[in-house]
Amino acid sequence: MSDDANNEFAGTAVAVLTHIVKSIVDDPDAVTVEVDESGNRPALNVRVGDGDLGRVIGRRGRTAASIRTVTRAAASKDDVEIDIEFLD
Amino acid sequence: MEWVETTAKTVEQAQEAALDRLGVAADEAEFEILEEPKPGLFGRTRGEARVRARVKPAQVRPKQERRRRGSKDKSKGGAEGASTDAPSDQQPASDTPSDEGSAPEKDESTVSASSNGSGRGGQRRKDRSGNNKQEKAMSNDERDPSPVSPQEVGDAAVTFMDGLATAFGATATSELQVDGTELDVQLNGEELGLLVGPGGRTLNAIQDLVRVSAQRRLGDHETRLRVDVAGYRARRNEALGRFASDVAASVRESGSARALEPMPSADRKVIHDALNEEDGVSSRSEGDDPNRRIVVVPA
Repeated sequence: MSDDANNEFAGTAVAVLTHIVKSIVDDPDAVTVEVDESGNRPALNVRVGDGDLGRVIGRRGRTAASIRTVTRAAASKDDVEIDIEFLD
Repeated sequence: MEWVETTAKTVEQAQEAALDRLGVAADEAEFEILEEPKPGLFGRTRGEARVRARVKPAQVRPKQERRRRGSKDKSKGGAEGASTDAPSDQQPASDTPSDEGSAPEKDESTVSASSNGSGRGGQRRKDRSGNNKQEKAMSNDERDPSPVSPQEVGDAAVTFMDGLATAFGATATSELQVDGTELDVQLNGEELGLLVGPGGRTLNAIQDLVRVSAQRRLGDHETRLRVDVAGYRARRNEALGRFASDVAASVRESGSARALEPMPSADRKVIHDALNEEDGVSSRSEGDDPNRRIVVVPA
């Protein structure tokens, strides 16, 4: 699975981010992660279902910060640096 | 009671600067060494010595009493301070298990019950040397409004960890230990360094996320959930214990209190526990997270 993942841009990071977010929301099927290379640094844009954004961000952004930390660790395996954006 | 804080190349120079600022002689002031001018073992390094000082308060330090009790019963403490508060917290909670008003205090009373069961006030029993886990588990079971069992929470945590390892492309499996409401998840396997990260930061983030995924998502408020990867925490706790002994030795030798780097509560507990076993020093915590830090004082 990781071989497949590594063929895409930031494959490990995308796989890790997707797993984390799907694991903490109430509606995993509504979760999407897409690569956005339009900015000066590539970003992973995360969208979640109605009402799930609060838990993904957490109190004072604590959960979002943890998600970024772990996803960036994964991205280092892909040899890329990325931002992670949480969108409505 | 005004503290002044100074920095200098060496601790001595910083202390002198502090005395100048206070305008008193050395024996009229008390010092806390906030940072020494060498790289700290845990946390950032600074080139300068940082001390704070104040004019000694007139009354005698009231901490002696507390320290002696701590060393007498040899329990793994750290919650010593809490145990003095415990009777008032704990007693009502166990009399009226479903009292919702006591819910916010739960964490604290759980901790104090774990220290040595001294929260039970008058009816201290013969088992002081023994196993207080049971007692703690009981006090949690008594009020159990949680919609899920600890086992279910643990299973969710394992599912999260295994999926995470797979997503990382690591070959690893996790194991769950359930002891009452204490849940321990251990991930073991190959190539797990990335999941620990510098200073365990990635691991701490992972533990955060496991808690969101398992406890919060399932509405659980009863369990205490810890995550370790490749035995990192176990090794770190050993290192923290050795570090605590070194600090204790230096505080005994210098007779000056010393403040440690800010560290997370789990690390502070390890240090407090280790210091509780040391003669001639006691410890307390100051400040608010994430800058809460231990101060080691001569006893």
